[in-house]
Amino acid sequence: MEAWHNRIFLILSGIALWLSASVTAYAQDDQRAIPPIIEPTIERRQVTEADIDSENVEVTAFIGFVSIQDFGSDAIVGARLGYHITENIFMEASYGSATAGQTSFEELSGGAPFLTDEERDFIVYDLSLGYNFNNELFIAEGWVFNSDFYLIAGAGATEFGGDERFTVSVGAGYRVLLTDYLALRLDVRDHIFNSDLIGEEKSTHNLAYSLGLSVFF
Amino acid sequence: MACSTQAIAETLRVEVAASFINVHTGPASEYPIFHIAEKGEKIDVLKSHTGWYKVQLRKGQQGWISAGSLNQTIYADGTVVEVSSGSFEDFANRNWEVQIAAGLLEDVTSISASATWVVTSNIATQVTYGQALGDFAENKYWSIRLRHTTFPEWRLSPYLALGAGQLRTTPRSNLVASGDESRTNDIMEVGGGLRYYIGSNLLMNIEYKSVLALTQRDEQEEIEEWKLGITVFF
Repeated sequence: MEAWHNRIFLILSGIALWLSASVTAYAQDDQRAIPPIIEPTIERRQVTEADIDSENVEVTAFIGFVSIQDFGSDAIVGARLGYHITENIFMEASYGSATAGQTSFEELSGGAPFLTDEERDFIVYDLSLGYNFNNELFIAEGWVFNSDFYLIAGAGATEFGGDERFTVSVGAGYRVLLTDYLALRLDVRDHIFNSDLIGEEKSTHNLAYSLGLSVFF
Repeated sequence: MACSTQAIAETLRVEVAASFINVHTGPASEYPIFHIAEKGEKIDVLKSHTGWYKVQLRKGQQGWISAGSLNQTIYADGTVVEVSSGSFEDFANRNWEVQIAAGLLEDVTSISASATWVVTSNIATQVTYGQALGDFAENKYWSIRLRHTTFPEWRLSPYLALGAGQLRTTPRSNLVASGDESRTNDIMEVGGGLRYYIGSNLLMNIEYKSVLALTQRDEQEEIEEWKLGITVFF
């Protein structure tokens, strides 16, 4: 009899324990369902490599001199848009504009000019590929800039004397990075094209020296 | 709390997972290594230039690490950083291409530039501007075309293209006899070529195309162009 009572008590207390446990669990579930009092306004976001600011595009404004064959030396201004593909290779589109002077014959003879004022506008543009030889410029101890010497070659056209001619441009330059995104450039380019403006058709070399300021972004 | 989350969001902070990482003075392998970042060190990634990343070390020094080194770091949650150092996989996932090319349009040297939107791995749309300045005439054209790459998963793959555009021909002004005005004709073109993935984010291609100029005259004009191009993809 005693044993039977004990067994019932055990079973009942077991059921009670199970019930109380599940009720607590339910209560906890219920508690979890209560919305937080303050909703966080900013979602936590993982910053990834996609957020890194890349600086591969280079925009340059330049000013310098171009010696237009047979037409003297004149100021040239222009712009370049470059994209750095690897640490060594870059591609660049250039545009330069100058106004040609007079040939020595025109000056000496004082006769009729060869070209009208409009025809004296000298415009040269090209698409080029360049190769950087990376180096450093040491100005004094502890004062150093990253820099590079580059060779560049490309093709484009020259508008001059009422004519537009296929032009090959070759040159070299030096780029000093004042900061990561600001650079000073010294460029020498030879713009080579055929011209028959003065007598027979011949290949002309038009050397341009320029100083440029470029921004990377 | 919210403020600090925002502040963190501005720069990427990673932890060095390799035993050490070389830090260079400039964004190229030629620049000297002046420091190392040790395993477990937290570094901030500030910007990138080609395949190089500018970082700030724990003690404030700034230098450049390669993409390969950045791939040996982990995010705060332990996942490995994966930046592209230019791979065939990146090539397969590219969206844009910019190309410059040089060649021959009939017997005249031609140059052209084009931009391409890669729609699917096979199909792309391409806009091209080109010019061929000859001794007798200046030819300038633009075209828009659809390009189908036959085997996009191959390093070297043939492709076919079909397009339309306009060609403007101006006779040389100093040819007294010509007297012709410049004329603009609609063109249709069909082309085929081979493209080759060089490495990094560079491609190379060689192409032949046949251009049909729809003239006002009785006969249509057919022009051929050969070209060799260099392409950068993004």
